Amino acid sequence: MQNKKLLFVTQFEELWFDALTSLMDLRKTGFNHVVFLHVIERDKVAMHRGKGYLKDEEIKLREMANVRFIDWAESLFEQGMEVGAYIVVGNPLPKIISTAAEEDVDLIVMGRHKKGKFEELYGGSETLEILERTSTPVLVYKYMLPSGKVNEKPFERPLLTMDWSPASEKAVDYLLSFRDILKKVIVMHVIGEKEFKSTSAMEIQAIRKENRQKLERVCSVFEEEGIQAESHLYVGGTFEQIEKAASEREASMIVAGTTGKSPLKEIFLGSVAKKLTKHSMLPSLLVPASVKL
Amino acid sequence: MSKRVLTVDDDPDIIMFVKTVLEENGYIPLIAMNGETGLSIARDEGPDLIILDVLMPKQSGIRMYRELKGDDALKDIPVIILSGIARRTFLRSQEALTEFGDQPVPEPEVYMEKPVEPAELAEVIADLIDRS
Repeated sequence: MQNKKLLFVTQFEELWFDALTSLMDLRKTGFNHVVFLHVIERDKVAMHRGKGYLKDEEIKLREMANVRFIDWAESLFEQGMEVGAYIVVGNPLPKIISTAAEEDVDLIVMGRHKKGKFEELYGGSETLEILERTSTPVLVYKYMLPSGKVNEKPFERPLLTMDWSPASEKAVDYLLSFRDILKKVIVMHVIGEKEFKSTSAMEIQAIRKENRQKLERVCSVFEEEGIQAESHLYVGGTFEQIEKAASEREASMIVAGTTGKSPLKEIFLGSVAKKLTKHSMLPSLLVPASVKL
Repeated sequence: MSKRVLTVDDDPDIIMFVKTVLEENGYIPLIAMNGETGLSIARDEGPDLIILDVLMPKQSGIRMYRELKGDDALKDIPVIILSGIARRTFLRSQEALTEFGDQPVPEPEVYMEKPVEPAELAEVIADLIDRS
């Protein structure tokens, strides 16, 4: 597949230009077009008792965003990149979805907000709704430290989590499209404790062997492309073990396929993708099963 | 016959401003909200002048400008760049694209940084249209 266009969603509180700069390695994989999106939340300018629609406030917020985007765009234009920008008033979720469709982007990058309405947006479920409704992978960007330091090369050492679903197989293919900037892929699978319900050591060993073989198969896919790969089996709660593996193996980001279940189902099932979005310290690249390759 | 001027900008306020200047000075305005649509209108209508923003959705003014100057049917239409993006950035961007293998393009006839006064814009438009 050809990756060309990236939608960079920012509220200027959770995601700054340094995050985008750290993704400039993506140019080696074909990305040459960045579209900025800033959504002015309707609540900030909506009708207030005695004041009406806050037009002056909207103008102020638009111009503040515009000054920032112009500065960012100048840096990118001078590198020969193509840049577009949207500053819109509305609800973030539909605006992200409609802009992604309008611009036909190949990747959505957004941050994780901690307070207010955007907490809901970036809190997990809505990210999954974007994945379900756009078929576009989403990179939930995280600053690595409370100090705000960015991971300079998030694609260098990704941890790829495999649950053997069609979505995780798609994630393998999608990750391969970044082959020019991948150094080492850490492929992992978590065996849930439920799988150990058998009392037969033989059966448990068979489970281990089967998963190990599957992991080796995935590693060989990357190795055939000249990318180093290593495999790891963990046991326990899926999200907790993914976080543990990411820390122990010094991963630069986490990559996971998403099932395409409706956000409502995901809420009840407590999906791993949602937990990654909400709680992981690392950037998370979420790949929907419906991604076009 | 009145001359037709194509304005390409995604900001409705700027479009209204330029449209007013054009109409008050006897020109026929043509409007596009992004480079992609702007290029299509330019090809269909063959305007006498193009006023072009840089930072826009779909296709930037930088790419649209290259398309215009690389098209034999359109390359002689004078272009005013009217943008918040600095002239130096515009020129460096064009240089970078040329270095990547695209054809070199000439500098735009006029580069104006937003905001501009109506009289200033009207004067530049008249000058370019008279010249052509």
